[in-house]
Amino acid sequence: MNIDLLYKIESVAELQGHEERTWHVSWNPTKPLLASCSADKSVRLYAYSELTESCDPKFSHITSIPTGHSKTVRALAWAPSGKTFATASFDSNIGIWEQEATSDYEGDDVSGGEWECASLLEGHETECKSVAYSSSGTLLASCSRDKTVWVWEVHPDSDFECMGVLMDHTQDVKCVAWHPTEEILASASYDDSIKLYIDDPSDDWFCFTTLTGHTSTVWSICFAPSGNYLVSGSDDCTVRIWKRVSEHQWECVSVLEGHERSVYSVSWGVGKGDVEGGLGWVASTGSDGRINVWELSESSDMSANAPPKNKLIARISSAHGVNDVNTVVWCPRPGYEEFLATGGDDATAKVWKVVKA
Amino acid sequence: MAFSGALTLTDLNDFITPSQACIKPVEQVKPQEVAKEPGGASTEIQIDSSGSYYEVSVNGLPQNKTNGIGAKKLEQAQISLNDCLACSGCITSAESVLITLQSHTEVLNFLESNPDVSSPSHKVPVLSIAPQCLASLAASISSSSSTPITLHRVYCRVQAFCSQVLGFEHIYDTTFARHIALLEHAQEFQERRAGGGKLPMLASACPGWICYAEKAHAEMLPFIARTKSPQQIIGTLVKEWLGEKWGKKPNEIYHVSVMPCYDKKLEASRQDFHNEIYSTRDVDCVITTGELELMMREKGWDLSVPVQDELESLPRGPAGSVFPELMNHPGTSSGSYLQSLIDMHTSTSPDTLDLSVRTVRSSDYEEYTLKKRESGEVVFKGAKCYGFRNLQNVVRKVGREAGKGYDYVEVMACPGGCVNGGVEGEMQNAKWGDKEWTKRVEEAYWHNLPTPPASPNLSAETRMANEADRAKSRRQRLFRTQYKAVESEVIGLAVKW
Repeated sequence: MNIDLLYKIESVAELQGHEERTWHVSWNPTKPLLASCSADKSVRLYAYSELTESCDPKFSHITSIPTGHSKTVRALAWAPSGKTFATASFDSNIGIWEQEATSDYEGDDVSGGEWECASLLEGHETECKSVAYSSSGTLLASCSRDKTVWVWEVHPDSDFECMGVLMDHTQDVKCVAWHPTEEILASASYDDSIKLYIDDPSDDWFCFTTLTGHTSTVWSICFAPSGNYLVSGSDDCTVRIWKRVSEHQWECVSVLEGHERSVYSVSWGVGKGDVEGGLGWVASTGSDGRINVWELSESSDMSANAPPKNKLIARISSAHGVNDVNTVVWCPRPGYEEFLATGGDDATAKVWKVVKA
Repeated sequence: MAFSGALTLTDLNDFITPSQACIKPVEQVKPQEVAKEPGGASTEIQIDSSGSYYEVSVNGLPQNKTNGIGAKKLEQAQISLNDCLACSGCITSAESVLITLQSHTEVLNFLESNPDVSSPSHKVPVLSIAPQCLASLAASISSSSSTPITLHRVYCRVQAFCSQVLGFEHIYDTTFARHIALLEHAQEFQERRAGGGKLPMLASACPGWICYAEKAHAEMLPFIARTKSPQQIIGTLVKEWLGEKWGKKPNEIYHVSVMPCYDKKLEASRQDFHNEIYSTRDVDCVITTGELELMMREKGWDLSVPVQDELESLPRGPAGSVFPELMNHPGTSSGSYLQSLIDMHTSTSPDTLDLSVRTVRSSDYEEYTLKKRESGEVVFKGAKCYGFRNLQNVVRKVGREAGKGYDYVEVMACPGGCVNGGVEGEMQNAKWGDKEWTKRVEEAYWHNLPTPPASPNLSAETRMANEADRAKSRRQRLFRTQYKAVESEVIGLAVKW
């Protein structure tokens, strides 16, 4: 159900097949592929037809990967190359998945060989909650209920080297996210804080700042495409916008209200807006089953900590019926800026399009 | 539970730290149950200003008649070192709940209650100190004086304090025990290379690493050297060899070691180092450098003041120790394990060998390769790997390519190795992991040490091997140990989310 706003959110596809709740979805950054993961320990891959002027993409299920994880697959992330993805499981391991080369492999064909586990990253003591590749694809970050954030360097032949074990959080770490261009890592935790890390080239990874303000668990974080902002979603029902006011300093500049219950997921895409100084679109979702889309744009005030302008441009309620919505993700591929995917407790994954009302 | 200030560790990266709250159920010996009043359902727990817990009945009636205020003081939970070792609930270095069992107060209490020499129940108090501790003390007093002070001088002063003030009858440093550990280590490496075990061999001297491997990476255990650490070898030497010389049974000796690391307390309390027959441990109590310094402060001893007959360096007089003292082993300040194997290869190889060192990212991860100069053939590849992060990479590498890759890895849990063993920083109120401080200790460690006798050389090696043939089982009993995986007993539901 949409409310009267500038844009509306239209359903494009409803993808069924998981046997238990869908925890996370991830768009392949280079190919027309969407992946979802679930408490049923499997990953499902969907291919879609390219968008044409007259026709929305059509989604079709191409494969299910049983993963071999012994517990829930909580999150997954594609590498920037689109050739590899990583899974984070409650069995405390990170899986690295690659497609077997086949003899009739045709370039970017989305089908091709079987997906197999090329590497298993052990080290976390308890449930892994999130995993993310850096923009260059050379680093991988993971986090866990064991309160740690790990940084791995990606080596050739699916080898990984641990570069850092960051023990700064005092509670369960829910989410990790990388800056879109620089090697800055962010993590969000049950300790209500967000921490940002960088690498000291002569030394180790370290936390250079802690962002506080949320009054409950921070479930999700995402950098803006410009890299100058960060969005977070929390159990305190708010979405916060954090701005980079100097190189290593980030401040909360806006608190967006619009959810009645916990915000489980946020995503910041480039959007299809036409406002001046546009910063893209922020989507949020959570326990109230609602998807909100805000348009963000630079303020005319040029001071460093001036908040960006924000405007709620679209909303849909009961996106997955009465169920919680666990994740929302903008499609990162050029030409698909208005497409969103969500995953919910109803075991489905859904694809949406944000269009002018 | 209140922890001592030194143990409240925050903002630390790359050390193994407690990752979750203690889940060990605490057992209490309950006094006789007070009969419940019919219908009088519950009591509540109140906390007084001192932090003690009291159980009081809700209607205010006393639960226990023995105390006038109508409240029963509840016992405080006690968790022993052995509970920690047997539990996989948390993986930690410096398991801070257990320090009271092995503390300097414990040592002072013992010394106070130890009957006079004439009494048959008198125990011989013996103290052994690690060279890293001496380095730390040297760095500590050198920082307040202009001239650097040698380990020998510090050792003389520590000896004077421990014998004159505390009443220890024998004081040793652990370098001779390390010498034996290095010989045994080299021996074990050759046994493994000859097919008697798995390679790469991983160092066994760091108890933080051993504890972590037993709890989290049982698959690593076959790779870990079974040679005892210097602390446990000095334990064996004191209780078995010296004890015999003195005509004392193991339980007639009280052996204290001073170590740079809290985890040495865990190591000393392992079941394997407990003598069932005499119900005594090879090392009865482990204290840290900081605790030794605290004792000196409490007794008003100033370590910066020279003592009589203090010598700059060896040799000491004929009245010196039964062991060679302050032996230097070139290599690392964490025991020179890798270097001793490199030296063994270079001294025994008929070919000329060239050593190349490659730093992998930082000085905490370095690869050492020995190649034949003529053919370029690799005869030995080792690494030193310090800190939790590098330790992860060792585990991955060994798991992936067992048998290939490295022949030996010197693994230590702390970044920087033993001169940064967790307790060293507290000496100067420096933050644990302070690199400047670690550097100073490292310098003090190597300052003005005589070189000979160096690492186990060929002749010693051969002697040892011959001796080994004659008394292999005895040697193995004395100088080797074993490890066992700790099965996880953590149930998800029992854990605080």
